[in-house]
Amino acid sequence: MTSYLIFVLKRFGQFLLVVFLGVTITFFVTHLTPIDPVEESIGAITQMGQSDPNAIELMRKSLRELYGLEGSIWQQYLNFWLRLATGDLGPSLSAFPTPVSTIILRSLPWTIGLMTVSTLITFVLGNAIGALAGYYRKNMVLKGVSLVFIALLPIPYYILAFVLLIVFGYLWPVLPITGGYEMNANLDLSFALVLDILEHSILPALSLILVGAGSWLIGMRALVSNIITDDYVTFAELGGVPKNKILRSYIARNAMVPQFTGLAMSLGAIFNGTVITEIVFGYPGIGNLLIEAVHAGDYSLVLGLSALSIVGVAAAVFIIDVLSPLIDPRIKVE
Amino acid sequence: MQKWKRFAFGFVLATIGLTAVAGAQEYTSLPRKETLIVENPEGTIKNPGWFNIWVNGGGGVSTGLQQLTMDTLWYIDPEQGLGGAAWDNSLAADKPQYNADFTEMTVKLRKGLYWSDGVEFTADDVVYTVKTQMDHPGMVWSAAFTVQVASVEATDPQTVVFKLKKPNSRFHAIFTVRWNGAWIMPKHVFEKVEDPLRYDFANPVSLGAYKLKSYDPQGQWYTWEKREDWQRTSLARFGEPGPKYVTYVDPGPPDKRTIAQLEHNLDIIHDNTPEGMFTLKEKSKTVETWFPGFPFAHPDPTLPAVIFNTQNPPFDKADVRWALALLIDIKAVDMASYRGAATLSALGVPPTAATMKDYQAPMQDWLKDFEIDTGKRKIKPYDPTIGQQIADILRKQPKFKDQIPTDPQAISDAFGYGWWKPDPQAATELLEKAGFKKTGGKWMTPDGQPFRIRMTVEGDTRSVFTRAGTLIAQQWAAFGIDAKAVPAAKLWQTALQPGDFEVAIAWSVETWGGDPDLSFFLESWHSQFVAKKGENQPPRNWQRWSNPELDKIIESIRAIGPEDPKGMELGKEYLKLVAREMPTIPLMSYNVFTSMDTTYWTGYPTIKDPYTDPVPNWANSRLMMVKLKPAQPQ
Repeated sequence: MTSYLIFVLKRFGQFLLVVFLGVTITFFVTHLTPIDPVEESIGAITQMGQSDPNAIELMRKSLRELYGLEGSIWQQYLNFWLRLATGDLGPSLSAFPTPVSTIILRSLPWTIGLMTVSTLITFVLGNAIGALAGYYRKNMVLKGVSLVFIALLPIPYYILAFVLLIVFGYLWPVLPITGGYEMNANLDLSFALVLDILEHSILPALSLILVGAGSWLIGMRALVSNIITDDYVTFAELGGVPKNKILRSYIARNAMVPQFTGLAMSLGAIFNGTVITEIVFGYPGIGNLLIEAVHAGDYSLVLGLSALSIVGVAAAVFIIDVLSPLIDPRIKVE
Repeated sequence: MQKWKRFAFGFVLATIGLTAVAGAQEYTSLPRKETLIVENPEGTIKNPGWFNIWVNGGGGVSTGLQQLTMDTLWYIDPEQGLGGAAWDNSLAADKPQYNADFTEMTVKLRKGLYWSDGVEFTADDVVYTVKTQMDHPGMVWSAAFTVQVASVEATDPQTVVFKLKKPNSRFHAIFTVRWNGAWIMPKHVFEKVEDPLRYDFANPVSLGAYKLKSYDPQGQWYTWEKREDWQRTSLARFGEPGPKYVTYVDPGPPDKRTIAQLEHNLDIIHDNTPEGMFTLKEKSKTVETWFPGFPFAHPDPTLPAVIFNTQNPPFDKADVRWALALLIDIKAVDMASYRGAATLSALGVPPTAATMKDYQAPMQDWLKDFEIDTGKRKIKPYDPTIGQQIADILRKQPKFKDQIPTDPQAISDAFGYGWWKPDPQAATELLEKAGFKKTGGKWMTPDGQPFRIRMTVEGDTRSVFTRAGTLIAQQWAAFGIDAKAVPAAKLWQTALQPGDFEVAIAWSVETWGGDPDLSFFLESWHSQFVAKKGENQPPRNWQRWSNPELDKIIESIRAIGPEDPKGMELGKEYLKLVAREMPTIPLMSYNVFTSMDTTYWTGYPTIKDPYTDPVPNWANSRLMMVKLKPAQPQ
C-alpha cells in the first residue's frame, strides 16, 4: 500500500510538472506572436472613425495599462501565475473586461457535448465491429464494413467534413450545416430544442465518427485476433460454450482493458476541441473560440483555453496511471 | 439478431424524425412580413451580451446596435441623405457653431427627444458622455476627448459648449457619423453604475427608433423592435420606420448568404463575392442592387490602392512609383479582381457619386493635359476611355450584355472615367532616369542589386484585392522585376502599421463620401504624424509619405471651416499633387456587393434613389428604415 501511495504522489508530481511546463510554454509562445491585443483594439477603435494620431498614442498607452501588459514579460509571467493560483484566468483582452472564464464557459458545453458523444460512439462502434471482425474473420459483411472504415481512416477529418457538408447541405439538403441550433430557436429547455441541437450535431459528429472509428476497429481486431489463439478460448470452444458468450465474456472483455486506456486519453483530449470541424460547421465550441482568440492576439483567452486542454489531458493520463494497477493485475507498482 | 433488427428500425425512425423536424423549422418565428432580415458582417459575436458600445468589449456593433439604437449630434451620409443633403442635424438642432479661432464649439440640441425608458434627452447627457470617457481611459472615445477638450458644459438643457485645448475647425467630426461616431451615453443609466468601463449595458436603453427585443446567447442573431414612441426620436423627422422588427444575423459564408437570399430568407446581404452577386442577378427575379446592371455594387468611400512604403528606397522616388504605375494594365486588374464590376479612379479620391461630381468630372480636362517627364520626353499618361473600354469588353459577355450601360455618362458613373495607359517604354525611361539598369532581362537597382518587390496582400480574407495585387505583381515581373505577391495575416496590424512592407494593396484614403471636405483623411497625412522607421504609424498615412506642399494644403484646410468653398479648391490641389508624386497608385472603388431582396420589402436605396449608402452595417442605414415599405399586404 505504501509503495502505491508513493507511486501516486510521484505521478501527481509529474502531473503538476507537465501542467507547469505546458502552460509556461504556451505563455511565452503566445506572447512572442506578432499579433498584439492592444493593436487589435486600436484597430477596432480606428475603424470607428478615429484617426487623431495624438489620441491613438494616448489610447495605446491606456490600453496597455488596462490590459496589464506593462512591464517585462517576466513580470507579466509572474502576475499570470499569481492570478492563476487563485483560479482567476483574468479578463479577455479582445472582450475586455469580460472574464475569460465566462467566455470559455459559454462555448465549452458545446464542445464537450459534441466531442463526448462522438468519442463514445466512435469507441463503441469501432470496438464492436473490430471485435466481431476479429472473431468472425470469414464473414463477408464484416469484412466489407471493416474495409470501409479502414479506407476512411487516412482521410483527414476536415476533408470528410467538407464532403458531408456538400452532400447533406447542398446535394441532398436534409441536415443543417451550420450552428449549434436553429437560428431564432426558442432556447427554453424542451424536447424540440434537444432534437434541434442533436440534429445540428449530426454532421460534425459524423465527420469525427466515420474517420475515428477505424483506428479503434483496427486495434480491437488485432487484440481479438491474438486472444482467440489463447488456450482458454480454445478450451471454451471445445467445451461447447456458445460463440456469442465466448466473444462477449472471454475475448472482448479482456481485449477492452487497453482500449479503455485509450478512451480515457481521448476523453481527456476533449478540451482540445476539434478546431477545423467547428469552423467548417460553424459550431459554437471552444475550437472556434480558440481561432478567434489567436487572430485577436487575446493572450488571456488563448492561455485559458490552453490551460484547460493541458490540465484535461494531463489529468486523464494521471487518472489512467493511478487506476491501472488497481484494475489490471498484470501491472505492478515497484 | 432480433435485437439488431429492432435497433436498426429505431435508428431509421429517429433519422426520419430528425429530418422531419428540420423541414418543419422556420427560419424565424417572427411575422416575416413585419421583419427585415439583414446580414451582420461581423459574423457570430463572441461576447453577445455586451452592449456597452463605449467600451471595446467584444460585443457586436453592427448587430443593429449602432444603426438602430444609438444617436449622436450629426450624420454625414456617404450618399445624398434623406433630408435633401448629405449633412443631417440629428440630436443637434443646427450645425456646429465655432468661434473665430476655432477654439470653442457650441451645439444647440433638439427638444422633445426621449430615451426608450421615457427619460428626456438633454445637454446633460452630452456633457456626461464627454466627461465620463475622459475620466475612464480605455473607453473608446476617451483619448480623443482627452487630447482635444479643455472643458465642456451645458449652459441650458439644449446647449452644450466645448472649449478646446487648441484650434480645431473639425472637432465636430468626432460627433459626426459616417460609419460610426461618438455616441451619446444615457446619463441616468451610467451614473448609477460603479464602473462604466466594466458595465455590459445589458438591456440597452435606446435613443434610436428601435429597442432590443431578443438576441441569441451564442451571438448569431439580434432582433430589434420598433419603439411605440418612435415619434420621440430624431429619425421621426423623416417618417415612420417600416419594419416592426429588424433582425441582424450571421448567415455564414458567401454561398450560404446567396442561397438564403434566393430562398427569400435574407433581405439584405451586406457584401458578397462578385461571383455570388452574378449568381443572384442571374437566378433571382427579386434582387435589387445599387447599380441595376454592372457593376451592381456600391462604391464605399474608401480608395483601394497600391501603397508604397515611401520611407524605403527605391519607393521614395516618384519616378520609380510612376514607372510601376505605367506597367499596370488596369483593365486586366479589374477583370481579375472584380470581374469587371469596379469603378476606376485615377485620382486619389474614391469615385463615390459625390466625388464623381465634385472632383472626378471637373478634373477630366486637367487629367487629359497632365504630363510627366520621363527624362527623355514628356508624355500624357492619361487614357480617358478606359471606362468605356471595360464596358465594351463586358458587353461581349453574353450573360450580362444587356446590363451594360450605353450612355457615356452612365458608363463613367459605373466604371469610372479613365486611368493610366500601360506604357512600358515610358516606364523604362523613368527607371533609367532613377539610375536603374536592365541586365540580362532583369532590372537592377542603382546599387546593382536585383529590383525586388514583395507585394503584401491580405490573402483569402479580402480575396478581390489579393487577386488584384497578385496580378499587378505578375505584370511587374513580366517586365523583368523580381516581383511577387505575399500574403500577410492581419495586414493592417502586422504590415501597414509597423511599416513592415515594401508595397501593399490596401487603402489610406477614406472620405466622408457625400461631402467634398477631404479633411476626414488628409489631417492624418500631415508630416507631423509620420512615424520614424520601425515605429508604429498612426492611421491613415500607411505610405508614410511627407511633402511640404501637402503640409501647406492640410494647414490651409485646418484654417477654414468645413463648408468654405475654398476647401474644394484645396482638395483639387491635393489631387494634382498626388497625381504628380504618386505616393499610392489609386486603383478603384472598394465596391461592396450589397444585394436587397424585394420579396418582403421595397424602397431600398439605389443609384436612382441614392438617399443613403445601402451597406447595412453603416449607422446611416437607419435612414433605410423609414423608406422601406412592405411589399405584400399585411
